[in-house]
Amino acid sequence: MRHVYVVGVGMTKWGVYPDKEWYDLGSEAMLNALDDAQLEWKDIQAVFAGSVYQGTGSGHQAVKEIGLTGIPIVNVENACSSGSSAFRLAYQAVATGMYDVVMALGMEKMPKGPIPSTAFRPLELEMGFNVQFANYALASVKYMKEYGATEEDFARVTVKNRRNGALNPYARFQQPVTIEEVMNSRMVAKPLRLFHCCPLADGAAAAILCSENKVKAKKRAVSVAASVLASGVYGEEMYMCGMVESVKYPPKEGIIEISAKEAYETAGLGPEDIDVIQAYDTMAPSELWDLEKLGFCAPGEAPRLLREGVFDINGKLPVNTDGGLMSRGHPLGATALGQIFELVCQLRGESGQRQVKGAKTGLAHAMGAGPNSSVTILVK
Amino acid sequence: MDNGKSIPIREGLWEVNEAGEIALIGSRCTSCGELFFPKKKNGVCTHCQGRNLESVRLSDHGKVVTCTVVYQRPAGGFYKGSVPYTYGVVELPEGVRLMSLLVSDDLEGIKVGSKVRLVIDPLFEDEEGRQVLTYKFKVV
Repeated sequence: MRHVYVVGVGMTKWGVYPDKEWYDLGSEAMLNALDDAQLEWKDIQAVFAGSVYQGTGSGHQAVKEIGLTGIPIVNVENACSSGSSAFRLAYQAVATGMYDVVMALGMEKMPKGPIPSTAFRPLELEMGFNVQFANYALASVKYMKEYGATEEDFARVTVKNRRNGALNPYARFQQPVTIEEVMNSRMVAKPLRLFHCCPLADGAAAAILCSENKVKAKKRAVSVAASVLASGVYGEEMYMCGMVESVKYPPKEGIIEISAKEAYETAGLGPEDIDVIQAYDTMAPSELWDLEKLGFCAPGEAPRLLREGVFDINGKLPVNTDGGLMSRGHPLGATALGQIFELVCQLRGESGQRQVKGAKTGLAHAMGAGPNSSVTILVK
Repeated sequence: MDNGKSIPIREGLWEVNEAGEIALIGSRCTSCGELFFPKKKNGVCTHCQGRNLESVRLSDHGKVVTCTVVYQRPAGGFYKGSVPYTYGVVELPEGVRLMSLLVSDDLEGIKVGSKVRLVIDPLFEDEEGRQVLTYKFKVV
């Protein structure tokens, strides 16, 4: 396998765009990535395009806005891991030597209102089990019971991430919120309140991956140390896609642990070597247990570390420096590539006010219904 | 219950025996013993990939493992029941968990560890005026 580098990233501001379609956003992100990489459109040899709700040939529509050139376009739907799954396919295509320069794209124009998740079977939909904040509430209740975490702990995740988001010009929400505002927001599924849930958004992000021999500007290139996907294991609780835990045969490890372990092994790094983390805060509590499952702290320890400021931008282990899903918003197919965009900026030292000093390694983790768990490790 | 004015949400989810006792119908793997609900149509055990599953009547009682109250109507129009509603995970004594709607005389009275019993309840009324019935677990 060859070394693979990210040589360009591009993003649109994430928000609500009544006058734009997903292909407008997708093509804008790709053009931004091209400019960032100082490459020409004709240099791109393949496109992997992630989206969830855009339908057949959605990546083709985005490419058409710039120009069809006979290269393969593959559309990737892997729920909220679509962007990282597209990134992984681009990584594989370059690592195996099939192509030298490949575009990974994630884009989404979200439907209005709460997502009618279709990662459920018809009977489950009719029974009302497809309410994602409720499914995270079910997991939150267990987490609270087991480790004594509180609703305030969850609120602190939102407060931290919205504070970081205020420093991110690409975020949908750029105003901080207080713990009181989170705790006074309306209850959506006990114990989760509206501000414990990430907002939706329209948006796109893109990354250009390339082999070593094609890297023009070594200074700004970021190495892909690992790009891993684990898509489900028997018996694990995954309420967000209708999976209930097995009593008789619980798995030794869940998909977050499996994907993290493989990523650390591939990268030759451990959690102690990571300088900046993009975690999956689709609902505030999930950032906490994901950090534990990724190996950054012991089970149940994340709420205390959060309170102590360890996960702040200036803390020992900065998490969601760009504001996470809470601030960026959640255009499903784009989200995981938005995380990668932030890591690349951080590792290049181009994150301005939210820059983590001397960051050399970064990890991004995204979940997805299905289920999916994707882990990307980048190194400067 | 069966007066021609009501229909189950799906056939084969539960049955009533000669004694009039209601039970959910699941599958049991004859190789590894794993239990499934609903019954596996293709007869494959997703734990050990065994191909010999038998049909089993599951216990009509269990305890709540986790639960939540949903205060707004789910998106997509698939769910036609009342709002707010409670659902969660129920563990049956033979060692299987399932997701279920939960009912109680007091909506907020459903808690982790609550003992619950199977009931067949109307979920909604369909376009032809029939009660669509489903399984739920009720706090005892």
